[in-house]
Amino acid sequence: MSKVVLLIVLPLMTAFLLPVIHRVSPFAGRWMGPAVLLLTSVMGILLWSELGHGALAIEIGGFRPPLGITLYVDQLALLLALAVTVGTLLLWPGGGEDRLRQSTLALLLAGAGSGLALSGDLFNIYVFYELLAVVSYGLIASRGTAAVFAATTRYLIISSFGAALALAGIALVYQATGTLNLAQLAQLAPEKLNNIQGLAAFVLLLVGFGVKAELFPVNAWVAEVYATASGRVSALLAGIISKLALVIIVRLLILVFPQPEAHLVMLVLGILGVVSGELAAWRAQDLRRMLAFSSIGQLGVMFIAFSIPGPAGVFAGLAVALHHMIVKPALFLLAAQWGGSTARLAGAAKVSPLGAGLFVLLALSLIGVPPLPGFWAKLLVLVNLSEQAQPLYYLGAGIILAGAALEANYLFRIASRFYYAQPGQTPPTVHRGGDLATASLLGAGLLASVFVMTPLAAQLQSMALQASDTAHYIEVVNPEALP
Amino acid sequence: MDLTLIFYVAAVGLMLIGSAGIVLSSHLLRIIFGIALLETGANLLLLLATYREGAAAPIWVNGKFPLAMADPVPQALVLTAIVISVGILAVTLSLALRVHRAYGTLDIRDIRQRMEQDIADAAGIDMPGSSEAPLPVYSSAESGS
Repeated sequence: MSKVVLLIVLPLMTAFLLPVIHRVSPFAGRWMGPAVLLLTSVMGILLWSELGHGALAIEIGGFRPPLGITLYVDQLALLLALAVTVGTLLLWPGGGEDRLRQSTLALLLAGAGSGLALSGDLFNIYVFYELLAVVSYGLIASRGTAAVFAATTRYLIISSFGAALALAGIALVYQATGTLNLAQLAQLAPEKLNNIQGLAAFVLLLVGFGVKAELFPVNAWVAEVYATASGRVSALLAGIISKLALVIIVRLLILVFPQPEAHLVMLVLGILGVVSGELAAWRAQDLRRMLAFSSIGQLGVMFIAFSIPGPAGVFAGLAVALHHMIVKPALFLLAAQWGGSTARLAGAAKVSPLGAGLFVLLALSLIGVPPLPGFWAKLLVLVNLSEQAQPLYYLGAGIILAGAALEANYLFRIASRFYYAQPGQTPPTVHRGGDLATASLLGAGLLASVFVMTPLAAQLQSMALQASDTAHYIEVVNPEALP
Repeated sequence: MDLTLIFYVAAVGLMLIGSAGIVLSSHLLRIIFGIALLETGANLLLLLATYREGAAAPIWVNGKFPLAMADPVPQALVLTAIVISVGILAVTLSLALRVHRAYGTLDIRDIRQRMEQDIADAAGIDMPGSSEAPLPVYSSAESGS
């Protein structure tokens, strides 16, 4: 199945060839990146229909798992790879004067993101994660203002700290098991990692990879980066990449760390994330930082959802993640021109009725107003939380409800500004056409999903069942392993 | 004392010193050194994962394998990790240079203060928490370099 490898290799290769192509023909240099991403998206969709409910493992270079690196493709991994590729294509940042560098970085982001989603080897995951991190520093800093350099530097310090912790976690895992292949780890985990060393390794990996997933103690970078980076880059990082990092953590949790304490650590950090994120968003005075803090809160909801053991938790978490993947980029695109103080937004509905209407629609779905998809996602999380025996889960449910109330408060505060023009105030600027078109597309997708909610839920449920089936993973990667 | 134990203590100690440097220092260069120390500690920990005293590389010499063989996998992994951290170090230093050019300081608290001010100015709002925060000291920016 060469399509799987091409999903990773094509964007990476094009990225490195792009400076040469651009020198020969600037026209080709400009359109090569989107064309390649379009091609890989089509390949991904073809692969999706071929794969059905199955899964497959690919040994890179023909080396068997202990020595070689495995790529593992199931519905969840393919969905994430597709989300990264299509997301990068939709939010293509390669505009403006710095086109060549931004196109190169965006292609690297797509390649590294697909690799991260499909990889079945812990160290390989670390390498792709670092590649993704470096690329995102470049994309953020490409705006070139003093504040963005300072924000990137602070982000880089936190991210490097996290990466070193993740490396230490990998060392602990290898010390206990002698392998880093996820399928072999899944086999050995109940015996060798179900102890305090395994828990320590999980916490190190959680905090390490959690930097990108805006996990509670390591998310100090979020507000300043999203406030200074360009709208499209913020949309990409907050919308797609954060969920990618989160699902990688969840995959490790399912396969490698069987102890119940690991779920509780995630639950507690998720609760703290919701509390800190929503309160900070409620206090924020400018739209971009409000959206940034609210995305910390939303990621906290996902951490809480994924901390529910078994397929139910994966199902609920995926529903919230998928919903957020559509809503957050659209909101950040709308904030690209409306980024300043919220007081400046008075009368925005007169300037751009479509933009204001879209914002209200997305905000309603984010809060969870029926019948929008956000409501079903949050309902699913709450129902599953209420079925748990551990009382901490009830606290999680309560916090999610309180967070939704805060969200409603600050998002309605903005929405009401849109429709009350104050005399003598300069109206806000109009959106760029491309941003508004992409945001409308995402909003239309959100509305369309209301009508296909039942098949969509069935699809997500089968995805969650497959992703949480450890024996299935082991069998696909290493058929001889199980009796 | 066991040699392996000393190595483990050294690895964890390096990681602790590095983390302390990142958290406690205010000078950007010291923070970068802290990151380098932390990464070195993590690399040492990875190497120690399968360390065996007196083991040789698993290479076939003169028709026979060495009696005690070291696991080559962590060594290959550490090599990769070192390459990655060197690359990231270069990115960090170049970013620090740009920050110094823009703000004229390498003190992370000053940098943060100036950045928050820039963000607030661009958004047209007051500095968050400016009534409680101490006045920023910009003297290093004006007198230095």
